[in-house]
Amino acid sequence: MKEIRLANKIITKLVKDHVHYPDRLIADTFSMLARCGVLLVLYWYVFRLNGGVVNGVTFVVTAWSIFFYFSFSTLRLRDVSRSIMHDVQTGSVEVLFNKPISYLLYRFWWQIGFGLYSFLVVTIFGVLILYFLIGVPESMTLTLFLPTYLVTLIGASFLSLILYGIVGLLAFWIEDVNPVFWMVDKAVMILGGSYLAVALFPKFLYQAALYSPFGASLFVTHTVYDSWQSNWYILLAWQFFWIVFLGTVMHFLFVRAQKKVSINGG
Amino acid sequence: MSNEIRFALYSVKKNIQSSAELRTSFLMNVVGMAINNTAFILLWIYFIKSFGIIGGWTSAEVVALQGFLALAYGVVFCLAQGIRKIPDYVASGAFDRFMLSPKNLLLRVATSSFGASAVGDVVFGVACLIIYGFLIQASLMQILLIVLVVILATLIFLATVIAIFSTSFLWVDSNAVTNGFFELFLTPALFHGGAFQGLTRFIFIFIIPSLLIGTIPVEIVRYLSFDKLALLAGLTIFWLLVSVKLFFKAVRRYESSNFMTFGN
Repeated sequence: MKEIRLANKIITKLVKDHVHYPDRLIADTFSMLARCGVLLVLYWYVFRLNGGVVNGVTFVVTAWSIFFYFSFSTLRLRDVSRSIMHDVQTGSVEVLFNKPISYLLYRFWWQIGFGLYSFLVVTIFGVLILYFLIGVPESMTLTLFLPTYLVTLIGASFLSLILYGIVGLLAFWIEDVNPVFWMVDKAVMILGGSYLAVALFPKFLYQAALYSPFGASLFVTHTVYDSWQSNWYILLAWQFFWIVFLGTVMHFLFVRAQKKVSINGG
Repeated sequence: MSNEIRFALYSVKKNIQSSAELRTSFLMNVVGMAINNTAFILLWIYFIKSFGIIGGWTSAEVVALQGFLALAYGVVFCLAQGIRKIPDYVASGAFDRFMLSPKNLLLRVATSSFGASAVGDVVFGVACLIIYGFLIQASLMQILLIVLVVILATLIFLATVIAIFSTSFLWVDSNAVTNGFFELFLTPALFHGGAFQGLTRFIFIFIIPSLLIGTIPVEIVRYLSFDKLALLAGLTIFWLLVSVKLFFKAVRRYESSNFMTFGN
C-alpha cells in the first residue's frame, strides 16, 4: 500500500510539473517530428517507388509500427540508467539508500512520471494525425488489438526499466556506463524496429528481434502485423520470461551494489 | 586574434589531458562510440536490401554519409563541446564566469569542455571515409573533394550548433528545448540521403541544414558536383555569419547571478 502511495505521489507530482512547464513537451514534439515524422515521409516515398508493398507489408502497417516505436520512446525509460549513474557519481545514492523506500522502485516511478505526460500527449495527437492522414491497417481494427497492445506496452515498460536499470547499476563497478548504455540502446533501436520496421528484417535479424530481450522490450511495434494475431501469446510469454529473468539478475546486482557503497562522510 | 586562438588551443589541450586522466573511461568512450555508430550503417544497409537502390544511393554512399557526419560531429564536439553546455551554464548561472573572462566569449565558452566520446566519432568517421574511398576507387580529385567537404561540413555543423544552443537564453527549460532543436537538425542527417526528394530535400537544405553535413557532401564527391560544392560553400558562409551574430545578440538576454536571489 505504501509503495503504491509513493508511486502515485511521484508520478502525479512529475506530471503536474510537466503540465506547468511545457518546454519539455515542445522538445519531445520536435524530437518526434525529427525522427518519426521525417522517417515516415521517407518511407512513404520509397514505398511509392516500390509499388506500395515491400516484403508483403504495406506503408500503412510500417508507418504504425514505426510510430509505436517512437511514441514509446517519448516515455524516456532508457534515461533511468543515466539517473542511476548520476546518483552513484554524485554520491546522492547514499542518501537515497538511507530513506525508507526502495531505491530502484523510486527511480523507476520517477522515470515513468517524467515521461508520462509527453507520452500521452504525443501518442494521442500522433494517433489522431496518422488516423486521418493514412488510416489504420485491418489488424488494428480487431478486438484483440487494443487489450494485447496495452498488455505488451506495460510489459515493455517493465522490461525497459529492468534492462536499463541493469546498465545503470553497472555504475557501481565502472566509472562511466555510457559506452554500455550506447550498445544496449542501439541493440534496442535496431531490434525494436525503429528506422527499419521489423517486418523488413532479414530472417536472422527477425529471429533476434523475437527472442532477445532487446527486441522484446519493444514488442509494441509487432502489434500491427497480421502475424500478431497468431503469435501474440508466444511473444507475450517471451516478454514475461525476460522480465522475470532480467528482474532476478537486477535484484542480485542491486544486492551486490549495496555492499559496494562506501560512505564518504563529511 | 592569434592570442585568442592560442588560448583556445591551450584550453583544448588541457581538456584532453584532463579527460585522458581517467584512461579506462576515456578508451571505453572512444570504442563505445565507434561501435554505436556502426548501428546506423547496418540499419541503412538493410534498408537498401529491402527497398533497393534509391536516388542512386548504394551501401557505399551510406558508409560515406556516416563518415562525413561522424567526422563533423566528432571534430566539433572534441574541440567545442562547451557550446552544447550553454543551456546548463545559463540555467546554473555558471555563464557569469565566461562573461567576466577577458577572452573572446564564444571561443571561451566553446572550448570550455571536451567530449571524450567525440574522439570515437572522429576515428569512426575517418575509417568510414577511407573505406568509402576504396569502395568507389576514388580518384585524386575525389580525395581532394572529400578533404574539402569535410572542412565545409564541419564548419556548417559548428555554425548550426552555435545557432541552436544560442537560443538557450530564450527558454525556461532551455536544455530540453535546445536538445529538441538539435535532434530536429541532426536526426534527418542520419537518414538515407537518396530518399530525400522534392520538398523534404528543399526544407532540409535551405531551412534546416541537415543534408548539408552528410547527404550533399556525399553527392558532391560521388558525382563531382561543383554546383553543389558552390551551394555548400555559400550556405556555410551564410550560417557562420548568422550563428555568430545570433549568439552575441542572444547573450544580451542573459541575466547574471541567477542564483543570488537579488531583488527577491
